[in-house]
Amino acid sequence: MSRLLLLVVVFLAAECLSSKRAVAHAILLESQPAARATVPPGPSEIVLRFNSRVDHARSRLALRIGQAESALPLDPGSPADVLATSITLAPGSYVLRWQVLAVDGHITRGDVPLTVQAP
Amino acid sequence: MALLIDLFGYLSIVLHGLTIVAQSMALGGVLFLVFLARPFTGALPDGVTLARRTGVIAGWNALALTVCELLAVAMQVAVLMNSVGLTLAEAVTAQFAVAGLVKAAAAAALGTALLAPRPASAAPLLALCLVVLVAATMTTHAAARLSHSSILLAATGLHILGAAIWVGGIPSFVMALGRLHDGAAFRRVGARFSRMSILGVACILVSAATMTWFYIGSWSAAYGTAYGVMVGAKVAMFAALLLLGLGNFLVVERLRADPGTSVLRMRRFAEVEIGIGFSIFFAAASLTSVPPAVDLAQDRVTWAEIVERNTPHLPRLVSPDFDALALPTLQAQLDAEAARARTAAPAAFTPGSGELPTRNAADIAWSEYNHHWAGLFVLAIGLLGLAHRAGLHAARHWPLVLLGLAAFLFVRSDPETWPLGNVGFFASFRDVEVLQHRVFVVLIVAFALFEWGVRTGRLRRPGAALVFPLLTATGGALLLTHSHAIANVKDQLLVEMSHTPLALAGIGAGWSRWLELRTEGSIRRVAGWLWPICFLVVGIILLVYREA
Repeated sequence: MSRLLLLVVVFLAAECLSSKRAVAHAILLESQPAARATVPPGPSEIVLRFNSRVDHARSRLALRIGQAESALPLDPGSPADVLATSITLAPGSYVLRWQVLAVDGHITRGDVPLTVQAP
Repeated sequence: MALLIDLFGYLSIVLHGLTIVAQSMALGGVLFLVFLARPFTGALPDGVTLARRTGVIAGWNALALTVCELLAVAMQVAVLMNSVGLTLAEAVTAQFAVAGLVKAAAAAALGTALLAPRPASAAPLLALCLVVLVAATMTTHAAARLSHSSILLAATGLHILGAAIWVGGIPSFVMALGRLHDGAAFRRVGARFSRMSILGVACILVSAATMTWFYIGSWSAAYGTAYGVMVGAKVAMFAALLLLGLGNFLVVERLRADPGTSVLRMRRFAEVEIGIGFSIFFAAASLTSVPPAVDLAQDRVTWAEIVERNTPHLPRLVSPDFDALALPTLQAQLDAEAARARTAAPAAFTPGSGELPTRNAADIAWSEYNHHWAGLFVLAIGLLGLAHRAGLHAARHWPLVLLGLAAFLFVRSDPETWPLGNVGFFASFRDVEVLQHRVFVVLIVAFALFEWGVRTGRLRRPGAALVFPLLTATGGALLLTHSHAIANVKDQLLVEMSHTPLALAGIGAGWSRWLELRTEGSIRRVAGWLWPICFLVVGIILLVYREA
């Protein structure tokens, strides 16, 4: 009984003491356009470079406009650490949402907000 | 799904910590079996049993590794399928999943081979260990590096091997010490395990130096990033392990001259080595979740900023006004607007949904006040612990101080809830963070009464006294999993930097109390002074804690 109590107490303490959420390690080193950048409308190249090799087939880029979100096709010829796509953008506020699977198995996600301004 | 990914991120660290523990004990157990237990089967009085039990330890850990690894792969695959829209076949053919499944299969075969009525011979066991080792390296930072990947894969493999030889072998060593009875046998086993440990330490040192060079690369990255600080914590714990290992080495040398030397100290030191070794494994699991320091060129904390933040100030013992906090300020603003519009005022915060408003100066002062008073409670525990050790019998009631701490946390930790805020007591449980705080308060109360029962003789079972050291040390080890500053936002890292010494002091307090309970003579006396001192350190860190 005392062993069971010991295990329960240790488990509960562990759960309480370590409640903070964690994040994985693949990080976005640079993006084109940069976060919070203002770009002209029309065709745009989107390039995100990470600090590790990413699994292109299992990573995702999406564009969020208001509450609507649409997946973007990834450029299959990108370097190992890059996610790239081409898109035509109309004036408005967008959030580029990325989620990458690093080759070592870590999943990371993040946002790149950008504004497209009419000339 | 975003919440699932974040939650998964945290769960994966805990699971990864457990995976490293099981993996090290499985590999270390096999190495102990092949290079120590089996060669000594004929030479030791209880050699056959010793080999069988070593096989059981390694076998069950191999099966535990299988379960942990399959769980980890399943969680990652589920997240990938849901978030990227992959099919099961697409998700399980990712490199990490293949490596994980191969590792799980090899570990399952290893467990089966070890637990079979006629355990397998050395060659297949070592071959399966090699498969586990290689698969394990394929899910580390090294596998995804853009440059020097081969060197880093080799260094990582060596690091895992070194940890397995040394720390992973200690549980089998403790078991062996428990089964042997004569000095000659102790000396034989101790000497062989010392040599194996030295080899393990050498592997760890060479690989750690290589990885430090490539993953950290500079002094500014060593102290200015979450990765560097975590590596610092690992180095501190490694130094403690080396000291304990040296203590055991000296006992083995003494056995050479006098076979009648007591090995109690060696057994207890080895138990503590297991605990600290496992803490290092959790720190290692945590490291996998932060980017290597060398990749973070921006947002590093400078030495001047660390000094500035940690320069002691007088503790904040007067609380800021509740009405000055961000949430009550926002609520007052909403109330005023509603009054002007003659409508019902909306709640500034609904538990379980939405986010709290941005913290203001009063929120920071509130949090610092909480930390400083908590520091005083912990300081009181340390001082009473010292007084009790010095012979003041009445000081044995120190666990009751924890009741004061629990009451303080209950009132202060979530000011938006009852009794201070507008959110009712039961409604507040919808907020996960508040729920955790409430559980923690209940836990502190239970723990205070439990340890008070131990100290006053009301709880007499020998195992009951071990709850305190185990809980403290486990709490310290898991506190290490807190440090995850992906973007290395400076303030976040500066706050988190205080967690690492707190965690180390917690681990120190737990294991020194363990030694006080389980050893004799001078070690017992020194350990009896050491754990209250560790509490004093925790109290002082909390007293000088600042968030701005």
